[in-house]
Amino acid sequence: MSAKPNIPDHPGSRETSGHFLELHNIQKWFGGVHALRGIDLKLDLGQAYHLLGENGCGKSTVIKIMSGAIAPSEGQIIVEGERHSAMSPIQSLAAGIETVYQDLSLLPNLTVAENVALSEQLVSGKGRLGRVFDRNRLKETAATALKAVGLPSDRAFLSTIVSDLPLAARQLVAIARAIATRAKLVIMDEPTTSLTRREVDNLVRVVERLRQENVAVLFVTHKLDECYRIGGHAIVFRDGQCVAQGPIESYSKKQIAELMTGRSIGSERYRSGHAAPQELLAVRDLSVSGVDRMSFTLRKGEILGITGLADSGRNELAMAITGVAPARSGSITLDGRAVTIRRPADAIRHGIGYVPEDRLAEGLFLDKSILENEIALILTRLSNGLGVIDKQAGRATAERLSKEMRLNTTDLDLPVGALSGGNQQRVLIGRWLSIEPKLLVLHGPTVGVDVGSKDTIYRAIQALAEKGIGLIVVSDDLPELLQNVDRILVMNSGRVVAKFDAETATEDQLYQAMLTTKLETAL
Amino acid sequence: MSPTQLEELQQATPVRPPFSLAELVRKRPETITFTILVGICIAVSIANPAFLQPSTLIDIGRASVVMGLFALGVFIILAAGGIDVSFTAIAAFTMYSMTVLVQSYFPGMPIAVILLLATGGGALLGVINGLLVHHLKVPSLIVTIGTQYLFRGFLLSFIGTVWIMSLPPQMGAFGRLPLLQFESANGATITLPFYFLVLPIAAVITWWILNRTLMGRAIFAVGGNANIASRLGYDLRKVHVFLFGYAGALAGLAGIIHVCANRQANPFDLVGTEINVIAAVVLGGAKITGGTGTVLGTMLGVLLIVVINSVLVLVGIPSTWQRLVVGVFILLAAAFFVTRQRKK
Repeated sequence: MSAKPNIPDHPGSRETSGHFLELHNIQKWFGGVHALRGIDLKLDLGQAYHLLGENGCGKSTVIKIMSGAIAPSEGQIIVEGERHSAMSPIQSLAAGIETVYQDLSLLPNLTVAENVALSEQLVSGKGRLGRVFDRNRLKETAATALKAVGLPSDRAFLSTIVSDLPLAARQLVAIARAIATRAKLVIMDEPTTSLTRREVDNLVRVVERLRQENVAVLFVTHKLDECYRIGGHAIVFRDGQCVAQGPIESYSKKQIAELMTGRSIGSERYRSGHAAPQELLAVRDLSVSGVDRMSFTLRKGEILGITGLADSGRNELAMAITGVAPARSGSITLDGRAVTIRRPADAIRHGIGYVPEDRLAEGLFLDKSILENEIALILTRLSNGLGVIDKQAGRATAERLSKEMRLNTTDLDLPVGALSGGNQQRVLIGRWLSIEPKLLVLHGPTVGVDVGSKDTIYRAIQALAEKGIGLIVVSDDLPELLQNVDRILVMNSGRVVAKFDAETATEDQLYQAMLTTKLETAL
Repeated sequence: MSPTQLEELQQATPVRPPFSLAELVRKRPETITFTILVGICIAVSIANPAFLQPSTLIDIGRASVVMGLFALGVFIILAAGGIDVSFTAIAAFTMYSMTVLVQSYFPGMPIAVILLLATGGGALLGVINGLLVHHLKVPSLIVTIGTQYLFRGFLLSFIGTVWIMSLPPQMGAFGRLPLLQFESANGATITLPFYFLVLPIAAVITWWILNRTLMGRAIFAVGGNANIASRLGYDLRKVHVFLFGYAGALAGLAGIIHVCANRQANPFDLVGTEINVIAAVVLGGAKITGGTGTVLGTMLGVLLIVVINSVLVLVGIPSTWQRLVVGVFILLAAAFFVTRQRKK
């Protein structure tokens, strides 16, 4: 990624609005997707803000625009009265905007001191690299900033390589960097996802301290409990729009959940069929890193929804059942027979299919044709003794599958990369139908898919259940689960914390269960 | 991660952890290189005391110069997470073109200007590499395989294929210019050439750039994670251009020294020795995936390879075994370094 040039619309023009940062009518398109639809925001120094919204609502796009990682398609960014149509990372840093991404943006091979304080020297030198850096100032800046976040500041710690530190300490190192660069706005992207309660307490103290020093803090988070503890303003996004702004105390959890999900749209239930009485799958005491002795059953033709926050263990569970990241212990019984699943090939042999969340990276061969993608699993069956593939049989199969999945093209030689997200997903599900699966695990089946395609995918899911296939839908799209499944398991900290009948459950109930903190679970 | 770990950190006691060999090796992998080097030297000295004669040592020093300069270039590119296989072609290109240029057009050009022009020419070719790597967004291995062919093809097609046996006098004289000279026991004159000085000077400059300038830190930052580095405001284009330009400059300098030392210019020389150099750098403890390594380690790696080359002859092992031995060492070192990372 190269630095983008600074293109101020009216060079030098300043206006005294009094706000530290203003976003004015920010629009962003990714290809054909309208990710941000006119965002207006005003952030003041010394305040805490909580940017809330479901996955894919545009939260991360907005913070990337603020930090200069990407340029908006339209609109203006006004920092302390100075207008920009886009910022480069170094401009954003120089303006005092520091982002602590979920990955913390630490350089794993450099020392703590360098990670904390090099940015400050880089920014004060306007990004020029041909300079000797001041090693004494580096150590001093780093030590001061580390003290402020409650980390040691002795020489041994300063020269520790960051990849040797535990995660919580790395988080604080990243915040120390923000302090060292004398940031005026610190953006934290899901800072508490992987922290224990005590570490969160420490973080809350650090944030309080930043606010006292007149620094604005913007949190991007799912954890409403923590937002209420910290206090400040809530900013709620939905579908690339800002739907509410105001003091967080003036909203109830329920109201925020409603604002985030906007349940008015498309809430009719797709699920009409009924599961067969026979049990298809029984999972007992399944454990894997992040999943703690999970047990559940699934009947033929039943659709089971599993939800929870990103760190709840839902992803690990899906990957354990399908052999992507095999289980450490526990048993899986499929169709009355105990099965061992050590790798995806085992799962496929037993008729278990997996549609991963990140279909681009994990599921599809993007530069290969629809045909080649559809028959990828049955190449052995299609080939003769010499390993030569029967192309005609392959084409016939692919034609049947794409018809079944209602692909909106008949050109099977089109590369999959050229299709829309919804069609790509249908190709992927279609491929699994080629092995006549007993069980399909769908992970985020409509992530990044537009509303129209969602409808087709939902209809396809129902049709699969009608055929007697058992389905597990792992998703954090709550309306999706409520519309499509029979039962919903809510996971937290690797366990099921609540079970719901999808027909009667409400989004609010699910949200409450998802957000139950780890401590509450333990009690 | 448990909260206690963080608390431990917060109440970090100044007591240093007890000395541990594993920890030392993990932090400074070049200690392994050093140990192997010393081990070989001791073993060979016992087998054949002739090894400790000044003439052998000076031979080793002389043989290290060209490889050492190459290795410094490879190392800083490796530190930034890239790889370069075109440096030998850059060296061949500059050394041969300079020799032709001086011989045919500027016979009176002073040696200092020749050295400077060769270095500058190498830098220019390196910058081409850097720009291609940055703008094509293609892995540097692929880009430099392409430019290796390109530079070498251009050299052989348009500049010449004739082996130049008689160098311009000032170049030959530079190759013979002594830094140290003394007579050995058997009456022969042993010379440590002046050009040997170039290597330690280049090593110190490289060390200084990497450890004292923001560019140096930027190089390691990019090697750690290029996306994060650019997010933090490091200009990747500048880093790439500098990196490959610097490696090119070192290659150009190495090329001209190679010519002066051998007193002949063979356009078919050097290309094909890339792997040897990369092996030396990796043996010196730099990770092939980037972000780590030291100049000292790189120099030790070069010494190790040069010593293995010259030592096998001394103890009566056929020189064809050299590859075998180097191969074993690389595999051993690689296996060792990998287990060291897994333990973490």
